[in-house]
Amino acid sequence: MNEKRHMGLRTLNRISNTTIYILLIIISIIWLLPFIFIVLQSFRVESTYQVGYVIPHEWGWQNYINLWNSDFKRWYLNTFIIALAAAVFITIIQLCMSYTLSRFRFKLRGPLMRFMLILGMFPGMLTMIILYRVLSDLGLTQANAVPGLILVSVASSGMGYYVSKGFFDTIPKSLDEAARVDGATRFQVLYKIILPLAKPIVIYTILTAFMGPWGDFVFARYVAFGTSSGYNVAVGMYSWLTNDQIARMYTTFCAGGVIVAVPVTILFLCLQKYYVEGVTGGAVKG
Amino acid sequence: MKHYSDLEFLRLSKGQRIGYKIGSFFYGIPRAIAGLFIKLWNLLKAAGLTVVREIQDICATFVKGDWKTKISFVIMGFGSLARGQALRGLLFLLFEVVFIGYMVVAGGHWLSLLPSLGKLGPTSEYNLVLDTYTTVYHDNSFKILLYGVLTIFFIIAFIYTWRVNVKQNKISEQILRSGKKLKGSKDDLRSMVDENFHATLLALPMTGIMVFTVMPIVFMVLVAFTNYDGAHNGFSNNLFTWVGLDNFNTLLSWSAGSGGGQSYSATFGEILVWTLIWAFLATFTNYFLGMGVAMMINKKGIRLKKMWRTILVMTVAIPQFISLLYVGKMFARNGLINLSLMNLGWIKEPLPFWEDPTWARISVIVINIWVGIPYLMLITTGILMNIPADLYESARIDGANAWQQYRKITLPYMLFITGPYLLTSFTGNMNNFNVIYLLTGGAPTNPAASGAAGSVGYTDLLITWLFKITTGAESQYYLASVVGIMVFVVVALISLVVYNVLPSIKNEEDYQ
Amino acid sequence: MASVKLTGVKKIYDNKVVAVHDFDLDIHDKEFVVFVGPSGCGKSTTLRMIAGLEDISEGTVEIDGEVVNDLQPKDRGIAMVFQNYALYPHMSVYDNIAFSLRLKKVPEDVVYEKVTNAAEVLGITEYLMRKPRALSGGQRQRVAIGRAMVRDSKVFLMDEPLSNLDAKLRNQMRAEIILLRQKLDTTFIYVTHDQTEAMTLGDRIVIMKDGFIMQVGTPTEVFEMPHNLFVAEFIGAPKMNIVKTNLLLENGKYYVTPFGAKIPVEGEKGRMLAEKKVQPQEILLGVRPEHIVLSEGGEHAIPCSLVVNEMMGSELHLHVDTADGSRLIVRIPTIDLDSAGRSQLVAGHDLHITFEGKAMHFFDPETEKNLLV
Repeated sequence: MNEKRHMGLRTLNRISNTTIYILLIIISIIWLLPFIFIVLQSFRVESTYQVGYVIPHEWGWQNYINLWNSDFKRWYLNTFIIALAAAVFITIIQLCMSYTLSRFRFKLRGPLMRFMLILGMFPGMLTMIILYRVLSDLGLTQANAVPGLILVSVASSGMGYYVSKGFFDTIPKSLDEAARVDGATRFQVLYKIILPLAKPIVIYTILTAFMGPWGDFVFARYVAFGTSSGYNVAVGMYSWLTNDQIARMYTTFCAGGVIVAVPVTILFLCLQKYYVEGVTGGAVKG
Repeated sequence: MKHYSDLEFLRLSKGQRIGYKIGSFFYGIPRAIAGLFIKLWNLLKAAGLTVVREIQDICATFVKGDWKTKISFVIMGFGSLARGQALRGLLFLLFEVVFIGYMVVAGGHWLSLLPSLGKLGPTSEYNLVLDTYTTVYHDNSFKILLYGVLTIFFIIAFIYTWRVNVKQNKISEQILRSGKKLKGSKDDLRSMVDENFHATLLALPMTGIMVFTVMPIVFMVLVAFTNYDGAHNGFSNNLFTWVGLDNFNTLLSWSAGSGGGQSYSATFGEILVWTLIWAFLATFTNYFLGMGVAMMINKKGIRLKKMWRTILVMTVAIPQFISLLYVGKMFARNGLINLSLMNLGWIKEPLPFWEDPTWARISVIVINIWVGIPYLMLITTGILMNIPADLYESARIDGANAWQQYRKITLPYMLFITGPYLLTSFTGNMNNFNVIYLLTGGAPTNPAASGAAGSVGYTDLLITWLFKITTGAESQYYLASVVGIMVFVVVALISLVVYNVLPSIKNEEDYQ
Repeated sequence: MASVKLTGVKKIYDNKVVAVHDFDLDIHDKEFVVFVGPSGCGKSTTLRMIAGLEDISEGTVEIDGEVVNDLQPKDRGIAMVFQNYALYPHMSVYDNIAFSLRLKKVPEDVVYEKVTNAAEVLGITEYLMRKPRALSGGQRQRVAIGRAMVRDSKVFLMDEPLSNLDAKLRNQMRAEIILLRQKLDTTFIYVTHDQTEAMTLGDRIVIMKDGFIMQVGTPTEVFEMPHNLFVAEFIGAPKMNIVKTNLLLENGKYYVTPFGAKIPVEGEKGRMLAEKKVQPQEILLGVRPEHIVLSEGGEHAIPCSLVVNEMMGSELHLHVDTADGSRLIVRIPTIDLDSAGRSQLVAGHDLHITFEGKAMHFFDPETEKNLLV
């Protein structure tokens, strides 16, 4: 009798596991297929528009050659520069901000955090118009959009302190106190104790800051409007999919997508662990 | 409304309990709002009292202070310099010199024009050299408003600094009177990496936020009270000027729009409703499906956990504009899906993924699930693994089946922990420009709403509408600004209500 | 080697909550003072104000005659051991202990000397290259103490250092702290919520409640002459029995009448009552469990029934209910009973008890103060 129950449990488990495997396989296919398609179509040379099949009839590098001959190089370089600068400066600014708000109890801390919470409720797009005018007064639009975009994205990045503050909050405060009793200044506490412990969140911040600009679209488009040399990849490649260009540029877009996605994805997969840690911590802390 | 004690509540039937909870929730809303106003009033009162106290303190400092202090009221930093605190003194003095210089050279000018936003627009004047009429530009409303706001910021900063300067003198006098030594410049520098390290760390980020977020928001909020648009750009054609609440009237009035279509308020209402539906569905479909996938991968006995996770995570890494644009085109009229299905002979006509309003809305939500699940899977995996295993063990001993375990343990735990995240995610989805804009651009167009600014479509959110207004032919900045303020109001209201009922904030310790 | 003096020290938080009220205390050079009290009584806050980790809202803290209110923690000449040890997780044990010395730019060979010395004293030499996470609780505790030791500080502060250890290890470490104290020969301030630790370690004990000092005294003083009801109940385990009853004066002799019995007050206590000319009145009578004995009946006896009998080994703890339902705890050395007597003490058994006349405490029911102080 007992034996029978046991067997029943096991078969039940096996059935449910099999179902899950089937579901997971379907999910994986759904999630991967578009990317497989994009890669396959980037090698299709017999036509440049959208077609009703996936496997190219003729394979070739023509789309990548087109890419090389277009402004894509410039866009790619632009985006890369923005991403690098953002990774450096945004990381510094966000760490300053989040460390301070996690560790110091100064008089304006509460009001400051509430103030930023309220600021965050305004749609960021609202400020686009004026930021554009300010940048254009500074000569940082159109062809010079790159420094302009860096400036704007770095300047407001202090608002995104939540995730890393959540991480800093998990480092016990008594470590700071012990170090201060041991004779460290606040700066030494940060430099010698907290930063070595905060490696995961530093990497997370660098990673997200670096990845952000690759998908940055609206503001980049607004700032560089009409001047191809100021585009980033997102803005540039978007123009290939407009109704008048798509028939000519669709496969080139696919090739460009591959070139953009591959390095970022590899970098991301290497640092996946830290990303997961940051994302989880941030969501829990809210 | 009748209030039940805990024991009375426990005797209610299930339906009554739910009714009671819902009742008391809605019953609590007016009180919460009243509480908010009371809080605001108290805040105002406190602010008023603080100002009075500060003024009293300033007067007292002047009356009781020595001559060094008294001179400091006019020449900032004098007291510090006279007492041997060179660095502080010089900084105060420098600030005062810069401020006065700025006000004389430019600030006064901008400030005087601020009430009118400029008197003289561009004029056509005879040019002797070129022997023709050319346009001569005069006032620039945009600059007047911008620099006017900046000047006001600067004045506030100056008043604050002046107050600090006065307070410094008072404190210095006290310290000297008690026979102690004042901190020298060297101590001041050292304290920047120690006692006042937080100020050092915050200086740069806060400057950035003030200049590139706060100032623009103040500016744009002010724009809502002007007639700034493409035809009144304040410089090369007409000046723009203050119009009071007219723009709010336009947006919220029921009269028909200029194009003969439906009124602005109807358009606004339609878009708002869709925005809320979208935010709700986008947030919760992703949340539950993402949690489901995470639970499948986490289940005991499932192998290759890492591989499944990596497959999904990979899609997080690929920049959204690529995946969204590509998938968007896949579902287009002549896109991969339609063409393939027609090649296979399954359909004769292309499916109207982006052409039919209902199809488009559903497609957007489904594709958003595709975009969002990996991310949610990541978030929930970590939390799921943190749920103490003994909770499940005890539930199993109590006789709970898998569904009951999920319903009674997993879900409450998850909702509790991710409550704040859900709220941010909801408001984030309300403003999810990328997904909508890159997939549909707001299409298909809503003909009834064509009277409103921008060509409004059935999948447009408030935020994409705002974008269209801004970049549209008429560039009705003032209207964009009003819409932006409305978005803020909606988001703030939702946050306020949710924050007041969210258990994670009310009973922070329950699950720790 | 220093004295610590607190004068009118107050802690008021931003939300106007007063955590510590007018705290006055003189701690002598090389004294071991223990702050003890239930959680939230302000003991840790006081310690942290001495350390410089919390601002002092009012009053002054002097170390060695110098007011240190405005000094940074590092400049106060203190060392501190934290409840959760606060070891730097990314540093080895050696680096942890050496951290403060290196910040002071002490030459490396001196650092080596001092760290290995401390490690030897604490018996952690073999773990010097390990990271804190590879250590057991007791070992971490030693490292934390080692880190404080090498600072050669004037005052040694310890914030509940043993509360994260299991009971057995706690007893062992308690003994080691006594030894350490003899070796270091410096001023100690020790915070705990455990009255046993306070009694065994302290030269003097400061008992706190809700931010107020309830009593300061040697372990003997606070045990034998608690100034108020709170101290009486807090010190001693199992805790003192409190009975509401009357104090009578007949023919120059004091009696108490708990539960209808009439028990004379004897010895020193009786004399002190007479000296203070205490009037007959309603009182709260305190009797420690060890001062209740089994009796055979009579005028002194209180009838009651046994509810629970806890066998502790060397003694029995009897929980008994009197006729009006009050619960009392009686502590009887096992050796006083033969096996026949013991076998009778089962739940439900009726018995008689009486209070020792010379070991009773009398509190005012209103003020809860000891009538003899």
